[in-house]
Amino acid sequence: MTLLVSVVVAIVFGSGCYLLLKGDLFRVVAGTVLISNAAVLTLVGAGFTRGAAPIRPFPPGSEVSDPLVQALALTALIIGFGVTALLLTLAARVYASSRTVDLDQLSQIEATREDELEEAEA
Amino acid sequence: MTLDRRTVPTEAPEARTSEAGSATSDRTGRTAESGAAADGHPPARPDGPFPPAAALAATLAALAFAATLYAWLRGGGSIDLPWAPTLGLRLHFRLDALGALYALLATGIGAVVFLYSGRYLRLHLSHQGRPARDERSFYAFMLLFTVSMVGLATAQDLLLLFVFWDLTAIASYFLIGFDRHEAASWSGALMALLVTGITAVLLLVGSVMLFVAYGTFSLPEIIAEARPGPALTVAAALIALAGLAKSAQVPFHFWLPNAMAAPTPVSAYLHSAAMVAAGVLLIGRTYPLLQESELVLDGMLVVGLASMLAGGLIALTRERLKQVLAYSTVAQYGYMVALYGLGGAAGAAGGAFVVAAHALAKSALFMVSGAVTRASGGEERLGRLGGRWRTMPVVAGAGALAAAALAGLPLTAGFFKDELLFKAALEHGPVVTALVAAGPVLTLAYIGRFWGRIFLGSPKEAPTGPRSLATTLVAPIAVLALISLVFGLWTAPLESLAAEAGSVSLGGEPAGLSVAYHLDARATNLIALGVYTLGGLLLATYPRWLPVAQAFALVALRFGPERAYVSSLRQANRLSSALHRFEVRDLRRRVAAVLVPCGVLVTAGFLATPTLGQYEVGPLDGRDAPLAIVLALAAAAALAAMAPRSQLVLVLVLSSAGYSLAAVFALLGAPDVALVAVLVETLFALLFVAVFSLLPGGVLDREQSLSVPPSRRWRDPLIAVVSGLFALAVVWGTLSSPVPRGPRISERLIELAPAAHAQDVVTAILSDFRGLDTLAEATVLLIALAGVGGALSRARSS
Repeated sequence: MTLLVSVVVAIVFGSGCYLLLKGDLFRVVAGTVLISNAAVLTLVGAGFTRGAAPIRPFPPGSEVSDPLVQALALTALIIGFGVTALLLTLAARVYASSRTVDLDQLSQIEATREDELEEAEA
Repeated sequence: MTLDRRTVPTEAPEARTSEAGSATSDRTGRTAESGAAADGHPPARPDGPFPPAAALAATLAALAFAATLYAWLRGGGSIDLPWAPTLGLRLHFRLDALGALYALLATGIGAVVFLYSGRYLRLHLSHQGRPARDERSFYAFMLLFTVSMVGLATAQDLLLLFVFWDLTAIASYFLIGFDRHEAASWSGALMALLVTGITAVLLLVGSVMLFVAYGTFSLPEIIAEARPGPALTVAAALIALAGLAKSAQVPFHFWLPNAMAAPTPVSAYLHSAAMVAAGVLLIGRTYPLLQESELVLDGMLVVGLASMLAGGLIALTRERLKQVLAYSTVAQYGYMVALYGLGGAAGAAGGAFVVAAHALAKSALFMVSGAVTRASGGEERLGRLGGRWRTMPVVAGAGALAAAALAGLPLTAGFFKDELLFKAALEHGPVVTALVAAGPVLTLAYIGRFWGRIFLGSPKEAPTGPRSLATTLVAPIAVLALISLVFGLWTAPLESLAAEAGSVSLGGEPAGLSVAYHLDARATNLIALGVYTLGGLLLATYPRWLPVAQAFALVALRFGPERAYVSSLRQANRLSSALHRFEVRDLRRRVAAVLVPCGVLVTAGFLATPTLGQYEVGPLDGRDAPLAIVLALAAAAALAAMAPRSQLVLVLVLSSAGYSLAAVFALLGAPDVALVAVLVETLFALLFVAVFSLLPGGVLDREQSLSVPPSRRWRDPLIAVVSGLFALAVVWGTLSSPVPRGPRISERLIELAPAAHAQDVVTAILSDFRGLDTLAEATVLLIALAGVGGALSRARSS
């Protein structure tokens, strides 16, 4: 079980990293979604006990799942959602202003603008 | 000479180096009418009532002077309050003789300079078309400087010293950069801040070394326990270096001529009596430690002599009034450093005496240069002045007194400053004496040239400034010059104060200092006579020697330490630009700049923990089959997310990964997490679809086909596989670590949940036990969503 969870975390994390390296902003955002999912799964998997939901009354005789990691996982989920939502809309804004989400093109545009600014100053 | 109005501070080195070389020291010239924006406020008027801010500052400084004097005459005193007791830090101030000397200088000369500033600053501001309210920050920082100096003079704790040390640097930064529209002004300010600020770190390092060795930052305690040795030598050398840089000694001297971009009252205060004096104060304060090492003393002697000679020679060649005085300051502080380096009672007490004698004379001379410049419509080149004694006889007279004091002529306090130097040098043989005597010779020549070129001869141009100078511009000069004269005739007060200050520097040993005129053929008198003769000859024939001095100045400026400063600043700029280009311009590199160090840190932690090698597969039985299936689904969906070209498919695949994980959470006994995950995934899906609806179809497809250069075709999957394996190792190792024995926080939380009136323990944790965290988290979320809303609405409108 431990190994299985670890492998799934690794796969989700690796896929996220792959998307993070892609050339366009939306795949980068998708990559961060996957990576934060991997983090949440790690957190929940790190509970010391596994069993029934930690909601009273507990079913007799069975162990209760670790509530602490669940609280932490909830926090991570929510913050991850906020950050990713912001990233996504920023990507949309970048597209709206530059008509591309390709990172290479974007950095070229940025470099051109910077040079123009420097020239304007000089 | 003109200077561009640059607006971007990072271009300072370029602005400076473009003129490095012979023009270096003359760069501080005004750019008249360079048009500081008045911001809608009317420019200051040169006339009108005396500015109340100046009156207030002068009164405060005068009161502080009176209080210090009273306290000192009543036998001093000390304040000792706990500061950070666990670190052994105390707010320990003591008004001993050394502290009193510098505190009296800082407050006394401060009061006089504030009086002078009132009218001067109005003239200065009106000349530049700036509003009168600009002067507020001037007085605020001048007062901050005074307070810092008094704190520095009386502090008995090394860290406290460091704090005041840096406060003086900060105040000086703003004061030198007061003409903030001029490039020379803020590049000079930056240079002063960098040179004195970076060397201040040496003071901190030395202090920490002493703390490590003696377990305290308290100077009296360290001095009581100090034993000579390599550690003490290194610490003392570091502290001495900080002091030398602050006192503008070779090779750190170059910041001072560049700081002449400051308004003249700043120079009259900081660059004669306060800022540069702080360095010598530090040396005097830590002298019991410094004199444990012959090496440090010899080093100080060499630096002092070098500053004396180099400063004197360059001062002889300078054309601008304040530049002459700046190099003169370098040379004069060379006297003091050399005296401390010569050591013994004569050196320690002599150093203290020279500080006071020099401060009085130099402050007056700076104010002379300011008054002359103001009365000549901003002219500050010696070659364009001349014959000014006719229009300003009082300034000429007071200036003559101050110049005589600086040159060490009899009947002024300056005479004894030279005599003490000779006396200390005679104990070290003829070579040192000859070298030391060269300083006053040069002083006599350059200060004679300075005074003569301003006041004697015939005027080169008709004065364009105001016909008569305001009393408050002239009186302060006269006051300081007269005090120099009084202390030259009535030597007792300064003599006893300097002797006691020297005794503090010697760690309590009495430092005899006899200051009196002797009309006999003793050695010091003979040397003084020789100095006057040689100096007079040099002054009379200096045009003949000028090429030599000019060649020296040219070489010193072109190949001196200033060049190293400028080029290192430029290199730092270049490095920063290169880093910027490498890291900031490309998102992937920016991400890598965060992730790679993180990976390295995690690896280090991972290798350091003993869980390594404790991997366990974990039990897996038939009941876990549904869990295994949804986990596999999640993994499959994550893998699938790498492939799609269509926006909608990408969203669907991502969502299915998210929903599968929600199912995993449900099966792991975490219904709360599962519910929230479902909610979040749904919102995500909607948000993705909403955003993609704003884009034309096929954007992702196009990007996908566009942006895979062949070099990256194999690199990206490789990095992905490596990071996946890395995650596997770390997560597996973490999850395999055994359950610790003993009570766990989760059990306690489960027990406590009913007390929070909650059936659901997770809810109780979030809303009660960690309620504040949740509140902050909700705030973060709200801010993020506000950003989302704003960005989306604007994206649609564009």
